[in-house]
Amino acid sequence: MEQSLRVKVNGQAVKREVPPRLTLADFLRDRLRLTGTHLGCEHGVCGACTVLLDGDAVRACLLLAVQADGREVTTVEGMGEPGRLTPLQRAFLEHGAFQCGFCTPGFLATGEALLRSGRRLSRAELPDLLAGNLCRCTGYGPIVDAILEAAGSR
Amino acid sequence: MKSAPFEYARPTTLTEALDLLDRHGEDCKPLAGGQSLVPLLAMRLARPSLLVDLDRVPELRGFSAERVGAMATNAQLERRAGDLPPVIAAALPHIGHFQIRNRGTVGGSLAHLDPAGEWPALALLLEAELTVESKRLGRRTLSAGQFMRGPMTTALGADELLLSVSWPRWPAGARWAFAEVARRPGDFALAGAACTVIAGRTRAVVFAVGPLPQLAGDGDFEVTGDLHASAAYRREVGKRLLDRVMTQAAM
Repeated sequence: MEQSLRVKVNGQAVKREVPPRLTLADFLRDRLRLTGTHLGCEHGVCGACTVLLDGDAVRACLLLAVQADGREVTTVEGMGEPGRLTPLQRAFLEHGAFQCGFCTPGFLATGEALLRSGRRLSRAELPDLLAGNLCRCTGYGPIVDAILEAAGSR
Repeated sequence: MKSAPFEYARPTTLTEALDLLDRHGEDCKPLAGGQSLVPLLAMRLARPSLLVDLDRVPELRGFSAERVGAMATNAQLERRAGDLPPVIAAALPHIGHFQIRNRGTVGGSLAHLDPAGEWPALALLLEAELTVESKRLGRRTLSAGQFMRGPMTTALGADELLLSVSWPRWPAGARWAFAEVARRPGDFALAGAACTVIAGRTRAVVFAVGPLPQLAGDGDFEVTGDLHASAAYRREVGKRLLDRVMTQAAM
C-alpha cells in the first residue's frame, strides 16, 4: 500500500504517495526528476548519493523515502545555480576538484555538512572525514584543497 | 538491487510497536536507522512483508553514561562522547562513515549483529545487559553473551524488541584501549580488538575475525575467512591488535 509522504526538498514542500520500498535516492531521481543525486553502489559504500537530511549528510540509497517524512532534504540542485554558486562549489571549480563529475554532488553534500558543523577542518584530518566518498578521477588532493579554501582555513 | 514490496507501519508508542510485532511475528522486521537493513532489503537477503519503523517511538530514545536507548544514533553519542566510557568514545569514529553514523543506531547495530560491528564487541567487553520486550514474554534482561547467538543471529524472538543496552558505571582509574584495521576509515573492520583494565582485572575482546566477538585475554580465538580477508590474515592481524590493546591498557 502506498504511503503518504510530506517532505521539504530544496525549500519546496512536496507531497506524494510512494511505495514504502522506494529509497530516498530513487524518490529524488525518478519521482522528482532531481537527477543530480547520483547512484553508484546503492549500498552505502561509494557516497555518490549523499544528500543533506535536516542539515546532516546521509546516504540517500540507505534511506527509504518514507523515513524522510516530515523532514527537509537538500540535494545538489538546492545548493546553488549557474552564476550563483555556493562558496564550496566555487572552490571546487577553482581547484579542479572534479573531472567526470559523478562523485561531485556527494562530495558537495559531505563538504557542506562539514562546513556547517563548525568544526575546525585540517589538512591532516580531512582525508579521514572524506573516506565515505569515493572519487576515481582527482586523487582527492584538489577536493581537500577546495574544502579547506571554502572553510577559510588555508 | 531493489527491495521486494512490503507494507510499512510507523508506531508512535512502544505498546503500539509491540502489538504490531506480536501480530505479525516472523513476517515483520523492526526498522531502526536502516543502515544495514535497507541494503539487505535491496539485495533481497531480507524479505519481510511488514517493516515497523521505530523512528517515532519515544521510549527508545535518549541515553545516559550507563544506558543507551536502542534508537540513539551513533552521531548523537559522538556529540556527547565525553559523558560515555572512554572506550566507547574511542570506538565511535570507527562505526561507519560519519554519514552513516548520522542514521545508524546502537540498537540497530546490536540487533543486526554483524560480527564486524563495534557495538557487539563493546557490549561483550563492557559486560553489558540488553533489555528486550515482547507482549508474549514481557520485559527481560539478557547478558551480551546470552543475546549473541551467532553471526547476524540474536536471542530476540520475532515478536521481541531491543529497548536499551546498559553497562556498569565506568570507574575512575579504569584503563582501556581500542584498535581496528579497515580498508578505509569507517569501512567494516577486517580485524579489531579492545581491552579494559578495571580494578586490576583485564578483559580483552577480539572482533571482526570470527563468527562473533570473542573474549580472548588468553590470545586464543576462532577465525573465519571470507572475500574481505582470509582466515590466516585475520588470525595474524587479530593477534597483533590484541597484543597492542592489552599492552596499551596495561600501561
